[in-house]
Order: sequence, then C-alpha cells, then structure tokens
Amino acid sequence: MAMVAEGVGTLQIHRISQPKYIDALRWLSPLSAFERFAVLALHDSDSDVSSIEIQALNRSNPSNLHLQSSWASPARISTLRVSQIPQKPLVAASTYMGSLHFLFTDPVDASLESELSLAEKSFHAGPISGIDLQGTGSECVSVGEDGRVNLVTIGDSKLNYRRVFDSHGLVSYTAAKWASPAEFATGGLGFSLQYWDQRKPGGAVSQFKGNWGRGNMSEIVHSIDIHPSRKHILLAGGSSGTVFAWDLRWQKQPVLLSGIVPGETVVSPSESEVWEVQFDCYMQSATIGNISSGQILPVMMCSEDGILAVIKQGEQPMEILAEPCAINSFDIDKQNPSDLLCSLEWESIVILSRQ
Amino acid sequence: MEKPLVMLDKGTNCSSWNYCGQRLATGLLDGTLVIFDSLEPDSSTFTCTSRTKAHGASITKVIWVPPEYGDAVACICADGTLLLWEEVEEGPQLLKWKLCKLFESNATQVLDVQFGISLTSLKMVVAYSDGHVKVYELLDPLLLNKWQLQAEFQNVIDSVAMCGKASCLSASISWNPQISESHHSSFVLGFNSDLPQFNSSKVWEFDEAHQRWLPVAELALPGDKGDQVYAVAWAPNIGRPYEVIAVATCKGIALWHLGLNADTEGRLSVEKVALLSGHEGEVWQMEWDMSGMTLATTGSDGVVRLWQSNLNGVWHEQAALVSTS
Amino acid sequence: MPGRMSDPSDSLVPFSPDVRDPVVYSLHHDLKAPISRLSISWSKGNCLRVSFFGKKSSNSSAEGSGNSNDQIGGKVVEVKLSSEDGEIDEAQKRRIAYGSVSPFALLQSRKNSMSLLSKMSMGSSTYHVEWWEHVMEYSKDINLLLGSPKPLPSPVIEDPKTVLKAMEKPTCLKAAWELMEIFYADKQSQAWLPESLVDWLADYDNLLSETGTTVYSKLVDLQKELVTLQAVEDNPKYWEGISSALAVGWLEIVVKLLRLHGSYQLDQLGNRETENGLVEAVAVLISKMPRIRTELAVGRLGECYKTKPDFVKAWEKWRGQITKLECSAFWVQCDHRQTREGLKNVLQIMLGNTNSLNTVTSHWIELYISHFLYVRPFTMGLESMYSLAQKCMQLKPTSSTHRLMGLLLGILGENTEVVLAECSRSFGPWMVAHAVELLTAGSKQAEILLHEERYNLGGISIEELHRLVYAQILSSHALTWQIAPIYLTSCTKQGMGLLEILLYKQPIQHNHLLLKSLEICRLYELDSISSNIMKIAGIHHWKHGKKGSGIFWLQQAQDEVRLNRIAQQLFDFVGKSISDESFKQWEGLIELLGSEARTVGGLEFLHKYRDFKKSLQQVQDGHITDAARQAVESLILLMKNPSTPQRFWLPLLHDSRTGPGIEAEKRGSLVKLLNWSEHPLLNISQTNLLLNKLQELSMAKLHPDFIEADLPPHALNSVRLALATNLGRAFLEE
Repeated sequence: MAMVAEGVGTLQIHRISQPKYIDALRWLSPLSAFERFAVLALHDSDSDVSSIEIQALNRSNPSNLHLQSSWASPARISTLRVSQIPQKPLVAASTYMGSLHFLFTDPVDASLESELSLAEKSFHAGPISGIDLQGTGSECVSVGEDGRVNLVTIGDSKLNYRRVFDSHGLVSYTAAKWASPAEFATGGLGFSLQYWDQRKPGGAVSQFKGNWGRGNMSEIVHSIDIHPSRKHILLAGGSSGTVFAWDLRWQKQPVLLSGIVPGETVVSPSESEVWEVQFDCYMQSATIGNISSGQILPVMMCSEDGILAVIKQGEQPMEILAEPCAINSFDIDKQNPSDLLCSLEWESIVILSRQ
Repeated sequence: MEKPLVMLDKGTNCSSWNYCGQRLATGLLDGTLVIFDSLEPDSSTFTCTSRTKAHGASITKVIWVPPEYGDAVACICADGTLLLWEEVEEGPQLLKWKLCKLFESNATQVLDVQFGISLTSLKMVVAYSDGHVKVYELLDPLLLNKWQLQAEFQNVIDSVAMCGKASCLSASISWNPQISESHHSSFVLGFNSDLPQFNSSKVWEFDEAHQRWLPVAELALPGDKGDQVYAVAWAPNIGRPYEVIAVATCKGIALWHLGLNADTEGRLSVEKVALLSGHEGEVWQMEWDMSGMTLATTGSDGVVRLWQSNLNGVWHEQAALVSTS
Repeated sequence: MPGRMSDPSDSLVPFSPDVRDPVVYSLHHDLKAPISRLSISWSKGNCLRVSFFGKKSSNSSAEGSGNSNDQIGGKVVEVKLSSEDGEIDEAQKRRIAYGSVSPFALLQSRKNSMSLLSKMSMGSSTYHVEWWEHVMEYSKDINLLLGSPKPLPSPVIEDPKTVLKAMEKPTCLKAAWELMEIFYADKQSQAWLPESLVDWLADYDNLLSETGTTVYSKLVDLQKELVTLQAVEDNPKYWEGISSALAVGWLEIVVKLLRLHGSYQLDQLGNRETENGLVEAVAVLISKMPRIRTELAVGRLGECYKTKPDFVKAWEKWRGQITKLECSAFWVQCDHRQTREGLKNVLQIMLGNTNSLNTVTSHWIELYISHFLYVRPFTMGLESMYSLAQKCMQLKPTSSTHRLMGLLLGILGENTEVVLAECSRSFGPWMVAHAVELLTAGSKQAEILLHEERYNLGGISIEELHRLVYAQILSSHALTWQIAPIYLTSCTKQGMGLLEILLYKQPIQHNHLLLKSLEICRLYELDSISSNIMKIAGIHHWKHGKKGSGIFWLQQAQDEVRLNRIAQQLFDFVGKSISDESFKQWEGLIELLGSEARTVGGLEFLHKYRDFKKSLQQVQDGHITDAARQAVESLILLMKNPSTPQRFWLPLLHDSRTGPGIEAEKRGSLVKLLNWSEHPLLNISQTNLLLNKLQELSMAKLHPDFIEADLPPHALNSVRLALATNLGRAFLEE
C-alpha cells in the first residue's frame, strides 16, 4: 500500500491505493472507542470477484488499514448503506443483479456474524440503483431502473418485502432516502424527486421535476439526503454539477445550490456528475444557531471531475479535494464528522480528517 | 496469456460479438440461437441468457444489427434463408428473442449479409448465390420488420458485358466503417464463384443524387481479376489520407490503398501495397483492430495470424497464435 | 539484438523499423474434439477474442463417457496481446498508468503554452533552459512512480557486518527509465555521464545477476559468509569481494569491508601493527579518491572536483600517493600473505591495471564502469563511450543480451530508432509513449525524426504512433480506458478519430458507465458521438421494457426521428379499447414525451385526446356531471382543432361508446353523454359542428385515399342518430 500523508492547512489526507475498484464505501462506527471501521464494496477486475471488506482504521495512524472481515458477494455492489446505531451495526448492499444483502456485524470488533439475502427474480428486474436503511435498521427501501419501489422488513432470521409501487419501467428510480419512519424520498431521471408516505399507498404523495431547460445535458439525480431535523427538505445531487434542495412546503421553487443553469448565478464547484451529496454536520452545532430555518444547511458533494467540496447557501463553495480522477463516493463519519472517506476512480481511497 | 470466457454448446457453428463486446450470439447446427451476456458492469463473466430455436436448418453465420437499432441479429442458414431475430420486452420486464423478419430463399441462397449505417438510415447488403446483390433500407427505425428493397445489381463493373448465370460458393461484404456527413455509404464485395467477372472485389458507393449504387474501384490487378475471393475487410480510418482494404484470395492476402477522392470518371485510385502469404489454404475471416493498424486473420490452417506494417510501410506477420488442445 | 530469442513472454512489438519473424504463441482450447473452425473478433483495445468450434462427433454420445466436457462444443478465449514480462503485476501496471497521467498532461500543456510563447517572443535561450527543467521535472515524477526512491543512508547503529543493505528489488523498468533520464533529460548529468553510469550500476547491478555472475551477486555470497567467518582476511573471497566492489566504485562497501580486517581487532593490534597500517592506508586512499562530478550524497566516499584541471591535479596527486605506497618498504614487513597480495591487487585496480580490472569484474558493464573510474576518467562523448563499450563486450562476451544492455547500447550508438525499438520490445508501449518526451528533449535530430509526418504511417509521426498504440493498450481495460483520451488528445492527426471509435464501443446499459463516457464527450466537445451514444442507450432501454429511460435518452440525444416514431405508435391507441393498465402506460408515455418541446408531431392532439379520455373514464367511474361536461369540452376542442387528423374523427366520436376500461353495461356512454338525463351537454352550435364533421366524413368516404377506421359498420349511423337526438333536445332547452 502506497500512502502519502500531507498537511493541507488544517486537513490531513491519507491516500491508500487498493488493487481493486471501490464500488462504494461507508464508515462503520461500533461501540469501541479505539477503533473505527470502513466498509468497502470492492471489485477485482482481474479475477472478476466482488466482495465487501471491513477494514479497521487505527485512530492514531489512519493510513494503517487492516482487514477485519470480508464477505464474497455474488455480484457487483451498486449501493452500500450502514445503519447508524452503534449497538446494531448492520450493512446493507444492493447489487447490479437485483439482489439485496444484509450483513450483521459484531458491535465491538465488526466481525461478520450472519447474513440475509433477498435474491428473488420478482424483487427487482435488473440492477438495484438505490437503497436506504431506516434509522432503526428494521426496514430498507430499494428502487431500480425497472421502476419498482420495494420495502424490505429485516427480521432476525428472515426478510420480507412488499411492493410499494411499480411504474413498469415508465419511471426509473436512481436514489432513495428515508425522511421519517413512514416517509421516504426517491429520485430519478429528468431531475425528478418523489416523496412517499407509507400511510398513503398508491403512489407518491408529492412530485417534483426539475426542468431547467439546458438542452441535451443529462439530468439525473444520483443521490438524495435528508437532514433528520428538517425532513421536509430534500437535498439532491445529480448531473451537470447540479445540487439542489426541494422544500416540500414551497414546492414550486427548488433552491439551486450548484449547477450551470441559464439565468442563475450560482458558483458551481463542478460541471460534471455529482455522484453523492450529504449534509455536512461538521462544525454545524456551533454555527447552526446562525443558520435560519429557511436556509439550507451546509452540503458536501463529490463529482466525476474529481472535486470534493462543501457548499453553503449564498457563499463561495469550499473545495476540500481536487483530484485528477473521479471521486465516486464519500462518507462523513456521523460520530466524528470531521472525518471523511472517499473513493477514487483510480482504485484508491482517501481518508481525510479536518482539524 | 489467454483467458477463457465462454463454453459453447455442443454443435455450435458460428459466433459473433456485439459492438461493445458484452453480448455473444452463437448459431448451432440444429438451428438454435444461443445468447451469452455479461450482465454486470465491466465484468468478464458471461452467462447464457437465451436459447431459442431460430430455424429448422443450421445457422451458418450470425451478424449483429448496429446498436442504434436495438439488440438484434441476422442469421444466415444453411438452406439459404435469412432471418432477423430481435430481443424485446414481452410482458412485464421479461425479455425474449423474437423473429421479426424472414427472407425466404427461393432458388438462390443468401451467402453474406452486412449492415451499414448512414446518418439517416440503416442499410442491409445481401449477397446471393446467383451473384446478385440486394440493398435493403429500413423504413422505421423502431421496427426491424419493415424493409424496402433499394437496389439490386450484380458484382460486375460493366453490366452490359454481363453474361451467364453465376453459381457462387461464398461471398464477403465489408462496409466502410466510417459514418459521417461528408461520406457516401460504400462497401466492398467479392465472390467465390465459377464466373470470373463476378469474383474480383469491387467498391460500391451510393450516389445520393441519382439514388443508385456505382462501382468506384476494383481491387484486383489485371491478371488476378478472376481469382476467387475468400474474404474482404475494410479497415477503420482514424485519419489516414487513404483507405485500407484487405482482400483474401487464393493467392494470399492483398492490402490495398484506396484514394479518398474520385477522378473525373468517378473512380477512386487504388494501389496494391502488399501481398501476404502465411495461411495455407482458404482464409476464413479477416478483422481489423479499432485503429486499423493490426489485421487479424484465420484460415483453414487453424492459425490466427496478426499482421502489421513497420515504420517503413512494409507489411509483415507480427505474430501467430497456434491452437493446441 | 544478436542471440536474442523470440520468447513468448515478450511483448508484442509494434512498429519496429526492421521486419522480424512472427512471434509464435500457443492458444489452449482444452477441447476433446478436434477443431472444425475458429472465429475471431477484436474486443476493446488490443484484446482479441477467439472462438473455437469443435467437430461434431456423432459417436460421442454413443460412448456415453458421462464426462461433462462432452457437452461442450466449443470455447471462447480472450487474448491480451500486450502481456509483458511478469516483473510488474497488473494492478501495479495500472497504478503506473494512473500516476503518469498528471505528469504527462502537465508536460503537454507546458509544451503548448511554450510553443505559443516562442511564436510570440524570441527569447529562445531562456525558453530552452526552462524546457529542460520541465522535462526533468516530468522525468522525476515518472521515476517516482516506478518504485520508491533510494533510502537515505541512516547514520544510526548499523550492524558492522552488513555490507549490503537489504532493499526492495528494483525493477528493470525503473532502471531503464533512469538510463533514459541520464542520457536525455538530465542536463546536469551530461558533463558527468561516466559518473552517472557508476551510480546507475550501483543501483541496478543486481538486476543483471539474473543472467549471470555480477559483482553484486559475489557480494551477496560474501555477505552470507561474513557472519560466520572468524578471520576474514584468510578467505580469498573477502579479497575478491573488496577488489570487485572497488572496481565498480562502491567505495563505502570496500572501506567497510577493509575495516573488518582482523588486524583492527584490539587484541591483534599489537602484533599486526604494520599490517593494520597498510590496510588503513589503503582505506584512506580509497576514501579520498578524486571524482569528477558535482556532488556526492551524504555518506558517500571520495572527493568531488567540478572542473577538469582541478580534478587532473588531484588525480595526479592521488595516483602519486598510490605509487608511493606501492613502493613502500612496509610490504616486506607484512607477513600475512593474503593481506599483502590482496592489498597489492587493490592498488593495481586503483592504478587502472586493465588485467586486474578484467579479472575482478564479471559482466562487461562492470568492466566498462571500472575503465571509467580508473583508466579513462575523462571519457567524453557518446562516440568514445560506445567504442569503449564494444571493447568491453569483446572482452566479456555474454550468451544473451540483457534488455537493459540492449537499451544502453542503443543509447550509446546514438540511434534513436534502435532506442525506441528496444524500449518498445523490452519495456512495452507505456515506456515508449512516455520516453519519447525524453528523447525529443535530448536532441534536435531525434526531435526531427520523431516529429516528422510519414505517409507510410498514414500521415502521422512516430511520436503520435506510439501514443496511439499506448492509448489502445489503455483501452483494453475497463479501468484504464478513461485515461486513453488524455493521450489521444495529444495526437493531433488521428487521436480524435480513435477516441470516437473508443467511445462508440463503450457499453451503455449501466447509467453510471454511460455518464462517464458522456463526460468525456463533453470535455472534448464530441457532440455527435455523445448523441449517438445516448441514442443507442435510448433504443436499448425502449426495447427492453424501460420506456421511461428510453424516452429520456432519446430526448437527450434530440433524436426527433425516433421520438416521432414513438409518438406515431401512441396514435395506434386512439379509438382502441384498452385496459386500465395499458391506459396508464399510454398516459405515462404521453406525459414523458410531452415534457419535451412541442416539436414532436401530433403531440398536441395526443394531449387533448388524453384529457378527453380521462374525463370519459371519470364519467364511467361515476363522477357524473362535471366530468361529463369536461369530456364534452375536450371532445369539442379536439374536433375543432385542425391538428386532429381526419381519420380519428369517427373514432373520437365513437370512442365514448368504447371508452377506457370498458365493461358491457357501460357501453354506449356517448349516447349517455349526448342523451344526458338532466339536460343536453352539447348546445346547438356544438352539435352542429359535430354533425358537419360527420357530413364531411361521409363525403370523404367517397375519396379513394380514405382510410376506413377500424370500427363496426353501424358506427357512423349510431353517432349520427345520437347527435340528431341531442340537437332536438338542445333546441327545446334554448
């Protein structure tokens, strides 16, 4: 493993090259105060084998990763989620073959304890493009380009699922995110967002279609985030450097945070695909008092043109990383929001810590 | 050095990869069409996704339709019929291979078929065992069953001097791979027949103004015009000031340079730059790589040979892949 | 090169200046049956896929061996034609490929801005100085990728018996790159080439050990024995090691070894005083050896002289000291024979005795280096270096030429084409594509040769050719194809042509891969390729049940032709009875098509028809009056609108009878609409309009071009009757 540690201002960066492609990655924070773990979904292009690896990170020397446990996946992983409850660390992974897998891990040393899989043909046709685990880790929503929205109930030894909606391919979904125990949001082509309420079956309760009329630029939502304290605001990132927030209370007008849109004067840190967005909870507790409820909380995004940046509404975006290759995903450590994990196109991961 | 990708069914007779190398169509002696797919991104694992009885006679050749028109193949069968099979949705999210067009064989048999795309339409050239060539055009870009016969001619330069009825064993067609507004559609065609004037490879170009196909070049030296042609292959041109076409005859593999601009009579200049010998016996297939710098060939000697030109423009055999069990 | 065999592990060498016999590879198909035919297909880049078809053996099933292999009728294998030696594994190769992108791109952009600047101003001399620096920076960056830099000598506690430090084994690739750097990029080293080669051999002598004995391998053997030996000076290997190491200039090792001499031991010092004095005198002389070079790294022995006169003075003085020591009377007093002889031999080496040098060195390059150090320290110019090399090769012939030596000889022979061919053959396309930058910076003649456009190559230069070849290698792998554009865009003639083909061959099924391709199209403004890729994606999804994605991508591609055809397909639903589910699909598709501009033909009609159909459905669902009024409004709008095709008039009027979600008892809802129980829904003028349309239709029926709607024969009459009734009621109402 080659690694470079460099100090950029108050940023510590560790690059660790993997001999494999990283399809997705997440932090896993168990009970232990001394160790932290990174969950990596990997694809070895030489042997064509996919796997999930849990790597332990040393708090004092983050570039020193060592393999804690690994699980061979039957197919390439499209999305990866980790439940945020330290007592019950649960990893959920969806695949390009339409299967969904849940890995239960030990709360202390993150070793794999058991696994549940859902691989029925009728579940999804083709790849699953987005999943999200509910806060309690008892339910998982999955969406696909096939137009199906499924809810999976995770029992101790059994998985059940029910179809919430099936567009029969008329609408393709690309991302999903829970807003509350009963509500979740999905995103898709044409910068569309849907808001669903389990208590109101039959279809989405609210829909948004971002039409900024930009000719033949692709317009796809790749990632959605919802802040637990403001479940009425949907944050979405997608094509052409676009990051926008849609407030369900003012449905007509989305707030554009980044993107090239004629007539809008937003400074865009990127012009290409925004692969992931997350609300950046770092330093937020200190400054949250200053942010009015009408304003969007700070947002972190990563992009195909190699940018990792924080966007605050009405301010210049702050670039954290500018890589020569795509940053395909990132994750903010929820327990320790100063720490970040990113995966790069060139078979490497970056561990950053903001001080 | 080699990596196994797919195990083929018993009785497999021919195979063809689609444009991006993710799908393999194979034809069997019993007329079954078998499809192998790599379903995940960037994967080299292939699984069989369809086995369909396509025809009663054995399939001798499979050719993919350009991807702009869907996932479909043309199958040439031993009884001379030509079939178009297409993968479409049937029922909710269920994919199935369906027959969308059948060109019956009468007295003549289909020997080769190749698709060429222009900016506006899809064209299909079919070579028949009587030495005739038919060019069809697709009427509806969404439906592969609506074809219109655009032209029919014989592979001879001077149609007046044409005589007799040819009986052809095989034919080989290769389209100019370039698609652009400035280019007219063109292809090269050669026959393996008992009538010498049909054999030599000719370059046919579509004359938009008069809506007809014209022979613009003949790829044979005066003494070699009757040579039976086994295979032709038009190289991709990424910027050369001339086209390169490979023609395999009983005398070897000839490489031709074809000028880009026509003279006053509408002819393109030709120059034979190499005659490569190596394959003993018949040449089965010739394929250019994506840059048009390496030519791969196979023949009845069971060897795959790779040919390149050196810095001085001298073509030579670069490598030979000999198969062993 | 003489004696070189074409072994199958060699890389496929494209475009060497000479024609060679083909390399023969064997392909294993592992099939029981004999092969009846094979078929080939180029995959991405330079991957070739070969299909083997077995002969159909009629008796195989009769034998019934039960072997599953019997069911296999053929096999497809993929052959990568760039498989090089196993020195560097695939993952490491990719890492090098990723890492070289930034230095290469930086150098190209500097080159472009330089050429812009040089066109504007005349300051060519400053330009030159800067350019050297840029090339050197590039070379250093690339060098760093090929292996970790040499570890700094650690002055901390070291085992006195460790003369050779265990290091991670360097690669030939790095050694080759450094050779190129020394001769072409490093302007500083130009004046000190012999000394640079001394340093180079010190780092890479162990690579030559693969093929035979070297100074390095001798020292490795010695090292193993040192640990167990008591009186080292009694062992001839000890003295051999010292002489050999000295011959190639590894002074630190020599001095360290000398100090292991038994006479240094405290208990021995008394009775071996003279012996020890001689050993120490030699060690001191060695550590003071004058070197003609700018600097020596910390911990390295010798004294540097930057100018020739200074060096000559010091050299003469040093040689004088050696001669003096040689003639000294102390030798007689030294009774340890091995020490006496060993040290005398060491002095002979220092004095440049060619016989001694020949004896203590193994490989010709070691002899070569020893000549630089002790015989001809002023060797200058490649020509004399080359003739010396040839002399050394004659003295120490080898059965096969190591690839590094092949490269070195090419460099010394000042033949750019040979250097390129050696780089290509031995180190592969990555090396050539990147080393061309060093070569062109190295000499004007090489620059002309490499930049000259050649008709035989299709109008491109050798530089461009090698970049294209490397880009094609990158294209072969799913993880590296995305960096091929960096190299292709530096190819002015044919790069874009190849890039277009490369992009066209990318799979489109998975959105994120598709978007990565489109991003490259966007960066290089390849709009037509990008819309073609989107068109392929659109058709794929449309035909594979993902209608939404299909329309989305066709809209992105602005493919009006296909979108129009889709709209035409939707017309087929007009007037047909369809199930609720397919109505939903149909409605959804109109919705999807409608979000785009109004360019798609007849969409306006479809939208209005959709509204009409919806209201009708509501009527049937029991939302009576309002919906009925709505339906009538829509119907009138439709009938009034000139964009409504005549062929749909009757179906529209009749439609109400066979609305969506038909059930037998709900039939005849047109009649319901027209004969609305409460009051007529159509007023007189509306009814008249519809009646006129019917009349027009009856007239049109006589026309030969008329397309008969697929409706029951009494349709026209029943509609007419209903309208007539309505007209009557409307009269009464008004």
